[in-house]
Amino acid sequence: MRKLFLWPGLALIVVVGVALTACQKSGGGGDTIKIGLAAVESGSDAQIGSTMLQGSQIAVDEWNNNETPLKTYHIVTETKQDGSQVQVKLDEWNAKGGVLGKQIETISLDDEGKPDKAVNVAQTLVDDGVVGVLGHLNSGCTIPASRVYNQAGIIQITPGSTNPQYTEQGYPYAFRICGRDDQQGAVAGAFLHDQLKLNKIAILHNKTAYGEGLATEVKKTFESKGGTVVVFDGIGQDENDYSANVSKIKGSGAEAFFWGGMYGQGGPLCVKMRQAGVNIPFVSGDGCFDQSFINTVGASAPDVYLSFGRDYHKIPAAQPFLDKYKAKYGHDEGAYSVYGYDAANVLLTAIAQAQTTDADKVAAVMKSRAFDTILGQVEFDAKGDTKTSGFVIWTIKDGKLQALPDNP
Amino acid sequence: MTDPSSSSTLAEIILDGISRGAVYALVALGYTMVYGVLGMINFAHGEIFMIGMFACVYAIGLFSMAWGDHVLINLVLGVLLAMVFSAAYGYANERIAYRRLRKAHVLAPLTSAIGISTFLQYFIFLTVSKEKVQFPRYYSDFLTTHHLTLGSVEITYLRLAILGLTFLIMGGLFYLIHYTRLGIALRATAQDQLMASLVGVPVDKIIAFTFILGSALAAVAGVMVAMYTNVLVFDAGYRVGLKAFTAAILGGIGNVPGAVLGAMILGLTEALTTLQFGSEWNDVSTFAVLMLVLLLRPRGLLGERVADKV
Repeated sequence: MRKLFLWPGLALIVVVGVALTACQKSGGGGDTIKIGLAAVESGSDAQIGSTMLQGSQIAVDEWNNNETPLKTYHIVTETKQDGSQVQVKLDEWNAKGGVLGKQIETISLDDEGKPDKAVNVAQTLVDDGVVGVLGHLNSGCTIPASRVYNQAGIIQITPGSTNPQYTEQGYPYAFRICGRDDQQGAVAGAFLHDQLKLNKIAILHNKTAYGEGLATEVKKTFESKGGTVVVFDGIGQDENDYSANVSKIKGSGAEAFFWGGMYGQGGPLCVKMRQAGVNIPFVSGDGCFDQSFINTVGASAPDVYLSFGRDYHKIPAAQPFLDKYKAKYGHDEGAYSVYGYDAANVLLTAIAQAQTTDADKVAAVMKSRAFDTILGQVEFDAKGDTKTSGFVIWTIKDGKLQALPDNP
Repeated sequence: MTDPSSSSTLAEIILDGISRGAVYALVALGYTMVYGVLGMINFAHGEIFMIGMFACVYAIGLFSMAWGDHVLINLVLGVLLAMVFSAAYGYANERIAYRRLRKAHVLAPLTSAIGISTFLQYFIFLTVSKEKVQFPRYYSDFLTTHHLTLGSVEITYLRLAILGLTFLIMGGLFYLIHYTRLGIALRATAQDQLMASLVGVPVDKIIAFTFILGSALAAVAGVMVAMYTNVLVFDAGYRVGLKAFTAAILGGIGNVPGAVLGAMILGLTEALTTLQFGSEWNDVSTFAVLMLVLLLRPRGLLGERVADKV
């Protein structure tokens, strides 16, 4: 009796499966424009990754509802064939909302912060027919994924990956809207040497493309200024016991410490150092720029410095976005929310101006003009990096991260 | 770069290594006990340890909401609850995933254990927390900020507690196995389950007891480690579990003092490597030591299973 039911059962499963797949395929027809959002949304970097994607999502929603505030000051200069320049307002192109007369659909995927998973995510997005990707967060994910996007001819803008290698690969469709680690490392290294006036530092990193890359840049800058790096070492991303490293740093006579890594380890590491009586300045980069870092080290932790982009809280244009973000998600923005928002606006503006989703034409537009964003005017160079990067040093004050006052 | 001859740094590093080893030892004891009785490697032991961490922290949260922050009461109750929770998981593992495979080929329960390990990791990941959770520092502050001073080295109470617990559990297990009636039944089960059942040893109950005891101890270890590292994460058991498993092999799997010895050697190797070559080399040196020991003593430093030594 059992066997009798087995075959029809199997057949049913197969039929339903095929039908469902077919539905999915046909549902992906051409009446929307698809944008991929990819970053780490689980594990220890979940907070900084998902808040970045939420920033992009807000921009896309605004475009879909034709309410992007950028259009009010976002005037596009079009050069006609005879050389005369005409100024066109963005909203005249997109009166119906969306872009190119179509609604924008986002496909958001979690790369778990793992390079191999990121490649899978990239392949899935390509198969889904996205025309552009905003992501990823971790440099270790962004770099391998960029190969997939570029082979498929898809524009990628990373709002938060700072490893220089990403844009050094020579890919025509790879863009970055934040700064690079060689710029960030130079700022952090100069801060340690010139402002804190120290000569001996210890550096620890998390052995990832981001962490080790940034740590190496800091070392380079610090040594070029005549300082010595007494400890330069790496720990695994899943390591939680830092005591031997802390003892070594304690015995090395380092006058400051630099952490090249994310907040998930940086916070506990800072606490462990203080508990062990190592009260030297703790310096790190954008990877620690997250509220949970402050929650771990304490709202009044002294001698903690982070390098990050310019203070967007002081930019009036950022305020409507920050309010909207808080209203929609019920919490404050993350480190890269503004960058995610800007990246989405740049991509959509470029598509709107190119009047096509063809990657070559969109990339040409992106490299040809300046874009108004919350963080000021953004211009891309031939590699796809922004021409200006505004890394400054931040510190913890009154439970919040604030740019040091002597910074611009 | 660092001056290794600096004696206070060396002393601190050795202490770090011993503490690290003690953390591995707490988990390795669970591996070794199950192997000693059943001859199988319970890869899911690391996950039981991780579940203990989470159970304790969530219980503490619940208690402090119910009647306020009484550090000692909440902590003790939290540990007890975590022990019960982990023991239940351990028993369920045995009942569901291993019991029916007891007579199967040796690879079957091993594969089943790996499956359970992955299942539990992602079950916790999806239902409890996808992110790192912090151990409430309010509860561990007393242990982490107070310390004894021995010469130039300061030992926090927490490290003393972890070390003390490791040797307490080791001694307790050793005594249980070698000097009690229950221990005789355990050893009989380990030697020959059929013969043991013929002479009246309730084999199923003995094996279930092994899992329950091992899992409850894993919960205690989990809480101590969560206090020590300050971090709880769904794959915490995986990494520590792998190192603990290595330690158990190093010392001779199935051998209770061997697990502690192996773990200490592993912890010290890692700490000294960090001092001398940098922690980047930790995995290289650890497994080089493992290979070397296994080449010279294939059954581990102190020899294999409990039963073999009778």
